[in-house]
Amino acid sequence: MDRLIALIACRWRMDLRRLLGTRERAMGLLLLVPGALIFSALGSMVAFGLLRGLEGAEPELVLPLASAAATGIGLFWAASPLLTGVVLSEGADVSRLMHFPIPLRALALSSLVANLAQPAALAELPILVAAAAAVAGVNAGRFPWALLGMALTFVLILACAQVAGLVLHGLSRHRRLHDVFLFLGLAAGLLLSLAPLLLLTTGPGTLAAIARALSGRDVFMISPYAWGVRAAVHAGRGEAVPALAYGLLATVGIGGAMAASAALVQRIQGGHITLGGGAVRSRGPSRAGLPGALGALVEKDLRLAWRDPGLRAVLVMGLAGPILVLFFFSRGGPSLASGTSVLLLASFLGVSTFGSNALGMERRGIALLLLFPVERWQVLVGKNIAALAFRLPSLLTLALATVFLAPLTYVPAAATIAVLTLMLSAGVDNFMSILFPVAVPGAAANPYGRAAARGRGLGAVALSLMLLLVALVLSSPFAFLAWLPALLGRPELWVLTLPLGFAGAGCVYAMLVAAAARLMEKREPEILERMLVEA
Amino acid sequence: MSEASHAIVVSGLAKVFRQKTAVDSLSFRVSRGRFFGFLGPNGAGKSTTIKMLTGLLRPTSGDASIEGHSIRGDLLEIKKIIGVLPEELPLYERLTGEEYLHFAGRMYGLSSSETRRRTDELLEFLSLSEDRGTFLLDYSQGMKKKVALAAALIHNPRVVFLDEPLNGIDPISGRIVTDLLSRMTRKGVTLFFTTHVLDVVERLCDEVAIIDHGRIVAQGSLDEIRSQRAVGRDASLEDVFLKLVDADVRRQDLTWIG
Repeated sequence: MDRLIALIACRWRMDLRRLLGTRERAMGLLLLVPGALIFSALGSMVAFGLLRGLEGAEPELVLPLASAAATGIGLFWAASPLLTGVVLSEGADVSRLMHFPIPLRALALSSLVANLAQPAALAELPILVAAAAAVAGVNAGRFPWALLGMALTFVLILACAQVAGLVLHGLSRHRRLHDVFLFLGLAAGLLLSLAPLLLLTTGPGTLAAIARALSGRDVFMISPYAWGVRAAVHAGRGEAVPALAYGLLATVGIGGAMAASAALVQRIQGGHITLGGGAVRSRGPSRAGLPGALGALVEKDLRLAWRDPGLRAVLVMGLAGPILVLFFFSRGGPSLASGTSVLLLASFLGVSTFGSNALGMERRGIALLLLFPVERWQVLVGKNIAALAFRLPSLLTLALATVFLAPLTYVPAAATIAVLTLMLSAGVDNFMSILFPVAVPGAAANPYGRAAARGRGLGAVALSLMLLLVALVLSSPFAFLAWLPALLGRPELWVLTLPLGFAGAGCVYAMLVAAAARLMEKREPEILERMLVEA
Repeated sequence: MSEASHAIVVSGLAKVFRQKTAVDSLSFRVSRGRFFGFLGPNGAGKSTTIKMLTGLLRPTSGDASIEGHSIRGDLLEIKKIIGVLPEELPLYERLTGEEYLHFAGRMYGLSSSETRRRTDELLEFLSLSEDRGTFLLDYSQGMKKKVALAAALIHNPRVVFLDEPLNGIDPISGRIVTDLLSRMTRKGVTLFFTTHVLDVVERLCDEVAIIDHGRIVAQGSLDEIRSQRAVGRDASLEDVFLKLVDADVRRQDLTWIG
């Protein structure tokens, strides 16, 4: 018991330090508290209202819909570390404890109890109480049993998330599998984040259709996530035998998940699960495609980005973003689906490169990069070219969509506006990267690592907004030049205005880079000090 | 000896981190073509000194010059003539060993063909040819050290800073590396070397400086240091080192052991 308490206390202390480690994080936590309270209150009201309403109007729908909801939440909870790419596994925690003589069940149990105190888990507790109150109704004697059923599902959700975390940790020992899972997880996470937009555009009919499909057959009764909830519903209705049966099933499920966790810890850490190192080898000899130091920098950044599963997911999902936004535009009727909206979208796409934090992506590699005797303007231009290259898929989808939404003559204008705003935004963002250097945490980073606990600070946020405004102001005259023929209805003028816009933006970009390079030379030691402490 | 014959001249170099003095008014000179050992206990200021000399940290006060270029002046000129093997290895882990050396060569301004030639030679020399196509992420610590060393040497530097170069390297590779370094000094390359392995220092270094709490407590050849500190001529470097840093190595037994 002492060891269990020590383990839980240690984990909570680490979690607290992670949350309060910096001013920005502490400020974020302060903002999180009212947010979590609102989430809990709203969630409780929705859960109570829906369950009471269904119990009164269509009681036969309560079990299938509650089972489906519990299963959905459970699966999302288990997959969430992978979907967000923050951490691939619980390995960061467990692997450090393996050399102590701690029983495996104590290790698994401590992790489960510690997970119960996570802010996200605590915010769910009022919802559980509200759901239990809803299914128990006016009979107060049934409430504790209903709450127990709900709690069983919740604990099972956490226990299964722990198993999922350990499975992912096992897979992460194989380099290729690690990268593939991280890529797929992040891509799925990005797609899921776009789901609300799709639901908004397709209207409430979609939600009703999903509910009808789920209630038609009670398929989720076999889902372990549903057993505790079903026990709660039966307990609320005073049906003791099914409540007891589902309660027992849920308890067995929790025990099974805990046993699976303990076994996985033992097998992974003991080296029994051998997936092979999966060391990745490059195909064929290394070739230099681009000339000079600038070429070497661009090549290096592109290679690293393509081989980093997190960046690759963002790159591939860059294709989906403009398509979805254009889909939204196209459903808005002829007023939205016009050449003007396409040119507006091109501007937004261009500004999206602001905040790409060129130097931050180097992480600890910054010490290496700045040891090379390369002119600093080359470093900045190399980083900016790579950032532009990452946006190429988005540019291509934009050009493709323009063909469908606007006259063909808009394609060069849209591409020009996107490229020149990209260029100038990247040029302005260099200053942000130099003035407030911060290492970007890698995908699947250790949540207790330094990089995960740092930010740029509130002053940097204010300056960032100012610089974003500067980027918009600087690019607007050249974007206007590209837009002018559309406004005048004289597309032939693009022959003149597009090259002029490019040339002007190019000159401004050159001035921005020259100034940023001078600033970088002056601040090099400060950049290194800040980045190396953080990374 | 004249100023021109020194590869490294350090005068009054200091670094203070939030009221804590890491390096305190260091002054020393290293002649060209010397194998210079820079020794000290953990936290003595060795790595901080190397970071300042290589332009990775700005000194709080004082100055230093490398081959006549001040570290307060044009750092790019210094970076062209030095090679650095840092203690921590911030390598690009998703590049292969070969790609990394190609990148380093081109960043030092070598042509693609010359970079390729030197890369092949370095990989062969350091027994890394078979793993040339493997990501650095999957290299062992010793292999990473060898790649970082190769990158520090690819442009034929005149001064090389090596921070714990033998950590994690197996004895065979260690001997290959130390032999190479010795041959480099004979060709006029200056080596600035930190390590905790004192027998390597005894074997290789022409001159050492011992730093403790940010200050140099002794400098010279090993014989000079022995004579300065009144230890016997047969005293090992470890004995001299422990005496100089005033190390108290006597301890009672742990009460619960045995």
